Amino acid sequence: MAATLADHLRSLPDQELAALIALRSDLVMPVPGDISALAVRAQSRLSVARALDGLDRFTLEVLDAVRVSRAPDTATTSVEAVLLLTGEGGVDQSRVREALGRLRALSVIYGSDASLHVAAGVDEMCSPYPSGLGRPAADLDADAAALVADAAGLRRTVLAAPPAARAVLDRLAAGPPIGTVSRSALTDPAADSPVGWLVAHHLLVPTADDAVELPREVSLLLRRDVGPLGAMQPEPPTVEAPVREISAVDRAGAGQAMEVVRQTEALAEALAAEPAPILRSGGVGVRELRRLARAVGLTEPIAALLLEVAHAAGLLGESGGETGDVVVLPAAGYDTWRITSLGQRWARLARAWLLMSRLPSLVGQRDDRDRLLPALSADIERVGAPGQRRAILGVLADLPPGTAPTAEDVRTVLVWQAPRRMGRGATSAGYDAAVTEAATLGLTGLGALTSYARSLVAEVAAAEQIDPDSDPLGLTPEPPASAAVEALDALLPAPVDHVLVQADLTVVVPGPPEPALAGELALVADAESASVYRVTADSVRRALDSGYVAADLHALFARRSRTPVPQALAYLIDDVSRRHGGLRVGSAGAYLRGDDEALLAEVLADRRLSMLSLRRLAPTVLITPYAPGRLLAALREAGYSPVPEDATGTAVLTQPRSPRASARPVGPPRRVEDPMTAPRLTTARLAGIVEQLRRGDAATRAARRAPVTVRANGGTAGLSGAQAHTQAMAVLQQALRDKARVWVGYVDAHGATNSRLVRPVSMGAGYLRAEDERTEMLHTFALHRITAAVPEETST
Amino acid sequence: MTDGPLIVQSDKTLLLEIDHPDAQACRMAIAPFAELERSPEHVHTYRLTPLGLWNARAAGHDAESVVDTLLRFSRYPVPHALLVDVAETMDRYGRLQLVNHPNHGLVLQASDRAVLVEVAKSKKLAGMLGARLDQDTIVVHPSERGRLKQALLKLGWPAEDLAGYVDGEAHSIDLAEDGWKLRSYQREAVDSFWAGGSGVVVLPCGAGKTMVGAGAMAEAKATTLILVTNTVAGHQWKRELLARTSLTEDEIGEYSGERKEIRPVTIATYQVLTSRRGGAFTHLDLFSARDWGLVIYDEVHLLPAPIFRFTADLQARRRLGLTATLVREDGREGDVFSLIGPKRYDAPWKDIEAQGWIAPASCTEVRVTLAEDERMAYATAEPEARYRFAATAPAKLPVVKALVDKHAGEQVLVIGAYIDQLHELGEYLEAPVVQGSTTTKERERLFDAFRSGELSTLVISRVGNFSIDLPEAAVAIQVSGTYGSRQEEAQRLGRVLRPKADGRQAHFYTVVARDTIDTEYAAHRQRFLAEQGYAYNIVDADDVLSA
Repeated sequence: MAATLADHLRSLPDQELAALIALRSDLVMPVPGDISALAVRAQSRLSVARALDGLDRFTLEVLDAVRVSRAPDTATTSVEAVLLLTGEGGVDQSRVREALGRLRALSVIYGSDASLHVAAGVDEMCSPYPSGLGRPAADLDADAAALVADAAGLRRTVLAAPPAARAVLDRLAAGPPIGTVSRSALTDPAADSPVGWLVAHHLLVPTADDAVELPREVSLLLRRDVGPLGAMQPEPPTVEAPVREISAVDRAGAGQAMEVVRQTEALAEALAAEPAPILRSGGVGVRELRRLARAVGLTEPIAALLLEVAHAAGLLGESGGETGDVVVLPAAGYDTWRITSLGQRWARLARAWLLMSRLPSLVGQRDDRDRLLPALSADIERVGAPGQRRAILGVLADLPPGTAPTAEDVRTVLVWQAPRRMGRGATSAGYDAAVTEAATLGLTGLGALTSYARSLVAEVAAAEQIDPDSDPLGLTPEPPASAAVEALDALLPAPVDHVLVQADLTVVVPGPPEPALAGELALVADAESASVYRVTADSVRRALDSGYVAADLHALFARRSRTPVPQALAYLIDDVSRRHGGLRVGSAGAYLRGDDEALLAEVLADRRLSMLSLRRLAPTVLITPYAPGRLLAALREAGYSPVPEDATGTAVLTQPRSPRASARPVGPPRRVEDPMTAPRLTTARLAGIVEQLRRGDAATRAARRAPVTVRANGGTAGLSGAQAHTQAMAVLQQALRDKARVWVGYVDAHGATNSRLVRPVSMGAGYLRAEDERTEMLHTFALHRITAAVPEETST
Repeated sequence: MTDGPLIVQSDKTLLLEIDHPDAQACRMAIAPFAELERSPEHVHTYRLTPLGLWNARAAGHDAESVVDTLLRFSRYPVPHALLVDVAETMDRYGRLQLVNHPNHGLVLQASDRAVLVEVAKSKKLAGMLGARLDQDTIVVHPSERGRLKQALLKLGWPAEDLAGYVDGEAHSIDLAEDGWKLRSYQREAVDSFWAGGSGVVVLPCGAGKTMVGAGAMAEAKATTLILVTNTVAGHQWKRELLARTSLTEDEIGEYSGERKEIRPVTIATYQVLTSRRGGAFTHLDLFSARDWGLVIYDEVHLLPAPIFRFTADLQARRRLGLTATLVREDGREGDVFSLIGPKRYDAPWKDIEAQGWIAPASCTEVRVTLAEDERMAYATAEPEARYRFAATAPAKLPVVKALVDKHAGEQVLVIGAYIDQLHELGEYLEAPVVQGSTTTKERERLFDAFRSGELSTLVISRVGNFSIDLPEAAVAIQVSGTYGSRQEEAQRLGRVLRPKADGRQAHFYTVVARDTIDTEYAAHRQRFLAEQGYAYNIVDADDVLSA
């Protein structure tokens, strides 16, 4: 039978080999040369770790059973032995067989039922104490081996242990089987410690000055009650959690969903009003985030979350700001998103959150260099984030609808599903944050997964399950209709098109306003809260400024209001519109004033001055868009005698002045350069020259890194450059015919000498095309740059 | 999706659509935990505040029932974050309790050890806590009871005060219900106050707050200290108590600038209590002069800051606060909560009006156009002088005269802020003027004449803002005010809201100068009343003059 993994893999039919590669795709990145290389890679620490990380607790426990049951001499075991071992713990055989099947499919174990091998690398990546059992006594200590050989004696010794010592034994038997003790307990025979007693009776074996190990046989004896492998967990832990009314869960979640859509819109509007600058190091700074959070009325973590999600959903984008700095502001997609239904808007955000590989909870925390992490920066990118979120929602989805487990409950299940991955403490913070974020985004309500989020998660998962063969180019668009969106929209209020106007000048929108109403309200009233707007003199003026007239506003309120428009509002509109436009502002290049109205009338009527576009503001004032100088000149030319005046109205009388250039500074005479004396170099210049020389030197040395023979043929063997080149061409042509590999020495674009081991493919038109087998790339060399070529055999 | 009357917003405001068939049921359900903020004609705004939620908790409502109420009446799905916040806030109340320990007296007891550790470490509580009896109990000196509650409220862990009250010196007081009865809402207010022990009753002007005080005294049957805003208000209390209770002239004392009597029931003014000599409060002894069983604070929203300090020392006595509004311009609502007590009763004005206990009022703003030369003078006036200029415009005189004439045969009050203007008005209308410098005796004489109907028109200054009882006044004409004070507007409207013998409608006029700052201030003042559901009509002065 196959003794090595390579043999085993070779013996597999193509289909099974393909199945293994599909399960462990890291084995073929890049594709190994042969099966031996594949086997080597499959047993590498990294690949084994990846394979084991995805296994649940029970499968890992069965793997431990396989490791424990290996015969010491052949290092193999059998399915029978494993079943026997696990059977003592009372575990169903079929479950064990399934687990073994999973391990075999991954080639973590291989071989026939009678001779099971564990892939190399597994022992390295797992605890040295499988199932919490120590090494066999024979491997540890002769005295201990002697003791365990006598079963009755061993039992007697264990029973004779004083209570304190027995407690130590029980702890070590539960695993791990090693303990650390103070040195004196082992070395000082006078110390009457429990560990000392156990060591003296060979129940414990010292492995170092301060460490002891419990031999496997002693552990097995102590584990009589629970089975040789300890307590096994073939089933995921059951979650004891309150079950809430699913309709209440859906309503709470939908409320939150509606809220998060509204908050995202508010955030985008705040960014539209004042785009957030991107820091030079990337991301939106903490101070800017605080401003946004305050403007929208959110806490900073939620603002960071929404910013990230909206960005991931394509609602926000970067753009060069007015001052040239890059800023974040709503992207083009924002406007199309806004007119979709509430459910669609939410689904877009929720999908983006599920799939984004970023951890918004890190924003505002400090990294290892004590730097505050900004939002939208590369620092919070975490590839594992989407998988983690889906794992959490997956646990919730597997529970009966309405079950509201605590974060701890979900965590226990996840730990069972992938103990090796979840065991690492670093992910726990991100995990808790993901649970909170799911609640903030309305995926969960009252702690349970909402029904619409359940369908959304299923849709996202289904989209990934689509066979890549059926749509190799990825042409199929996202399904337009989504059950999640429909379910959510059914829960959410329909948009309203009317308002209630009250005498305190508040306007209440009894529900989410439809887009047209929202637009009108934004113009004529100030928002006080999500559904309450207030009409003020300022807001009425704003509406008038944008082209409404008083009658329009009256009509607008009459049309939209379901209640009679209060008199106070009508008066406010009339008052503001009466004053609106009472003052006019404009710009003029120059004015012309005079007390003589008739004279001004004459100027206005003067056809020679028509190009000045004079306009009469008052009987005694004319204005022109042109500058005072031009007005003055034109008037004088036309025979009038105007006088310019300054800002205070005083006449400015000028006398002609002769033009002069500005004064030219005159310094001390410059030192005359003497071309005959050597130029004096500054220290800095000298340092520069030295550095340049050194760099050139280094470059030359770098060129020498080519294989010796390439260098030798390149000139040092007494051949001239031209001869070497001719010889190189000959070598290359020969290699082309033989399809042999050659070392090619050439000068690259930077003038540095390089060499490369290639297989020539073609030569012509001044170029050599050759394949580099190491990188699997086709290179093109200009022939005139090639300095040498040596066949591979001779170069080694 | 239900079609409830309530819109729950994430900023913790609740919008109640009152035309909805379930509105009344919803109002009853949310009143215990939500504060009514505005009640204009169609949609009332309630707010969920920590104080309100703790009030509800104190009254025995738990978070579950509050959340359930919100979900039941809400028209739309309620944001999850809001529900979580409500539950968390309510959970904070009662973790700490002030109780009487059989051996150690007053102690602070915690049902959550971590909270006790947290507050014990706080600097704000330094010196208020005594020895630690065990892990959950800390001794508190009785004198720190008030300050401790104040500080704990600021820390966000309000203590439940279960330490009880002293009975005080017993004194027989009964309501003399001959031919009249406490109105139903007054009875409810008294009952809920008594059940709660201490607290504030919020009733609109004219709804008979004095009677709630009298009812509470009849429950307590103990010596009572009544704190009022001024002497005239004190006299009114005395008159009411004599008429409505078994108390006699000899049992009621007046403690004011003029007289210093201490009797079983003593009425003192804020002013005399807060007067100082040489930096020290000279009348503090009043609080310990007798073993008071009940302390009544009239017009709590005006309670001066020093009184809070004195009140902190009175925590063992029952305290009743009476007010028309909990809105304090200085924002010390939290002190009212922790020192006097939670709100025990509240009813919207319009409801009480609908029950017929306060007179329906029509509010009208009369806009006067300034003459051209006045407009020019106004335009060039200094900014500080502008309001005065506009408010005292002579153009208002004929309008006021026309209004008085229109209501000939009714009792008319003309209210203003500027003495010169009031004197002008007095001459113009041939009516007497009551102002700050008018002696108390003279005031009483004029008020009596007004009450009896001898005088039909009275011009009063700011002194009329508070606590004068002129039940027959049916018309109030406001010509100038203290800038944009919303409180003043409410108080002045209150002057005409007492129910009239013949059930006539009350009229409240505000005469303002068009296109001046006067209009802006008027709009600001009216906002409070508009929020209470009193819609203003705006008419032109010419319409009044030509009518």
